[in-house]
Amino acid sequence: MLQVEELSVRYGQVRALEGVSFEARDGRITTVLGANGAGKTTLLRTLSGLVRNQAGTARFDGQPLTGRRPEIIARMGVAHVPEGRGVIAELTVDENLRLGTFSRLRRVERRAAVDEVYERFPQLGDRRRRSASTLSGGERQMLVIGRALVSRPRLLLLDEPSLGLSPIVSAQMMATLRELTSEAGLGAVLVEQNARSALSVADWAIVLNLGRIVVADEPARLAADESLRRHYLGF
Amino acid sequence: MGLFVDILLSGVAQGMVFAAVALGLVLISRATGTINFAQGAMGMFTTFIAFSLLTHGVGYWPAFVAALAMGFVLGAVVERTLVRPLRGKPALNPVIVTIGLLIVLEGVAGSIWGNVARGFPAAFSQRGLVIGTTRVAFSHFDVFIVCAVAALVVAIVALFRWTDLGLRMRAAAFSPEVSQLLGVRVGRLFTLGWALACAAGSLAGLLVAPLSSFSPYYMDLNLVYGFTAAVLGGLLSPVGALVGGLVTGLAIAFVGGYVGPDLQPIAALALLLVVLMVRPQGLFGTTEVRRV
Ligand SMILES: Nc1ncnc2c1ncn2[C@@H]1O[C@H](COP(=O)(O)OP(=O)(O)O)[C@@H](O)[C@H]1O
Ligand SMILES: [Mg+2]
Repeated sequence: MLQVEELSVRYGQVRALEGVSFEARDGRITTVLGANGAGKTTLLRTLSGLVRNQAGTARFDGQPLTGRRPEIIARMGVAHVPEGRGVIAELTVDENLRLGTFSRLRRVERRAAVDEVYERFPQLGDRRRRSASTLSGGERQMLVIGRALVSRPRLLLLDEPSLGLSPIVSAQMMATLRELTSEAGLGAVLVEQNARSALSVADWAIVLNLGRIVVADEPARLAADESLRRHYLGF
Repeated sequence: MGLFVDILLSGVAQGMVFAAVALGLVLISRATGTINFAQGAMGMFTTFIAFSLLTHGVGYWPAFVAALAMGFVLGAVVERTLVRPLRGKPALNPVIVTIGLLIVLEGVAGSIWGNVARGFPAAFSQRGLVIGTTRVAFSHFDVFIVCAVAALVVAIVALFRWTDLGLRMRAAAFSPEVSQLLGVRVGRLFTLGWALACAAGSLAGLLVAPLSSFSPYYMDLNLVYGFTAAVLGGLLSPVGALVGGLVTGLAIAFVGGYVGPDLQPIAALALLLVVLMVRPQGLFGTTEVRRV
C-alpha cells in the first residue's frame, strides 16, 4: 500500500534523508528504528506532507503522496500521530475526537465512530467533557490514537508513541496496535527509539542511521544480531 | 445624577462599538496570530463604499449589507494576498504589512472621497429617548448599536461553541499542524477568520460613522480604543472583547464627562498600560492559553 522510493530530504545543508526506499503493507506493522537525529521524524513528516522532499517519491495505493498537502493526504486515509502526541489541550476529549471524524466520515457516521473509541478506551469515555489538558500521559496516547482511528484510516504513522509512557502502558499500547492491524487490515509505520518493544510487535523492521537505511529485515533476525543491536539500537 | 446616567448610557453605546472593533482584532489574532492595525481602516473603507452607494440613491439597508459583504470579501482578499505569503516568517512581518495597509487605505480613501469631514446617516433617530419625563442620552440608534453588536457576539460565540465549523476554527487556531494532519483545511479557516473579522470591522465602521466626523481618519481613534478593549479582554475570547469594549467605553465616557474629552485617548492609553502591567493576560485570558 505504501511504496517509498529513493526519498531524499534536506533542511538547508542538513541531509536528513538520503535515498530511502521501503514498502509497508496492509495489516502489517513496519517499524523504523534508529538513534536520535537518524531522520525518523522527518520520514513520517514527509509522508504526511508536512515536509517537502527534494528527490524520490512516496505512493499510497499507487497515488503520489509527495507534493501533496497534509490535508489532502489525511483525506486519502493516512493518519499521522505526531511526535509529542498532538493532543489539542484547549479542546475537550470529545472535541478532539470529533475533529478526527470530519475528514473521511459522512455526518451520520460520526457520532457512532466516536462512541466506538469510547468503547475501546473506556477511560476516555469517562472524561469526554473534560479538557484534554487534564489527561495523564497514557490517556493522551489513547486519545491521539483514538483520534487517528476515528477517521477509519488505512495507514497509521506513529512517531514514538511509547515515549514517556510506563512500560505497562506502553505494552498495552503495542498490543492494541497489533490487534488493530491484524483485525482491521490497517497498515502501520511505527517509529520508535524503544527498539525492543517495537521489534516485539512489528512484522518488518528498518534501521535508519544519518538519513540512510542501514538494515531492513525480519524483526527477529534484527533482534538476534548483537553487533547491530549495539551499534544502532542501543540494547 | 442626570449627568451620571447620561455618561453611563453613552459609555455603553460607545463600548459596544469598541467591542465590535475588538472582536475583529480577536478573530484575526486567533486565526493567524496577527494584530491587524488596518482593522479600523478596513471598516472606514467599506463605510465609504456604503456612503457612495447612499449618494447614488441606494437605500440605507442595502448599502449597509453591501458594506458588511465588502468587509467580508476585503478581509478574505487581504489574508490571501498579504498575510498568507508571510506564513512561517517572523510574526512581526504581517503586523507591519497591516500598518502599511492602514496607510494605503486611508490614502486611497482620501483621494477618492476627499480628506474632508462629512456626516454619515444613522439608521434610526439619534435623539435621546424620553424615559418618564426626562430625555436621556440614549437614542433609538444607540439601541440599534447595542443590539447589532450583541447579536454579532452571540453569533460568533455560537459559531465557535456549537458548530463543527467553529470547532475546526478553534482547532486550527490552537494547533494548525495537528489540525492539518486531521484533514482540516487550515488555510481556508484562516481566510474565513479574517473575513469575519473584517465584516465585524465594517459593522463597527457603519455604527460609529454617524457619531463621528466622517473622514478617512475617523476610525483611527476607534482602533486605539478597540485595541485597548481587545487587550483588556485577553485577545482570545469574543466575550472578553465584549466586556473589554464595555469597560473601555465606560472609562472613556466618564473621563470625557467629568474630566474632559481631550484626555480620553490618554485615559485609554493609561488603561492599556495598567492592564499590561497588572494582568497581561487580560481580564479573561489565562496565561496558559495566551499565545505570545
Ligand atoms: N526543521 C528542521 N530544520 C533543520 N534541521 C532539522 C529540522 N528537523 C530535523 N532536522 C535535522 O534533521 C535530522 C533528522 O532529524 P529527525 O528527523 O528529527 O530525526 P529523529 O526523529 O530520528 O530523531 C537531524 O540532524 C535534525 O537535527
Ligand atoms: Mg524524532
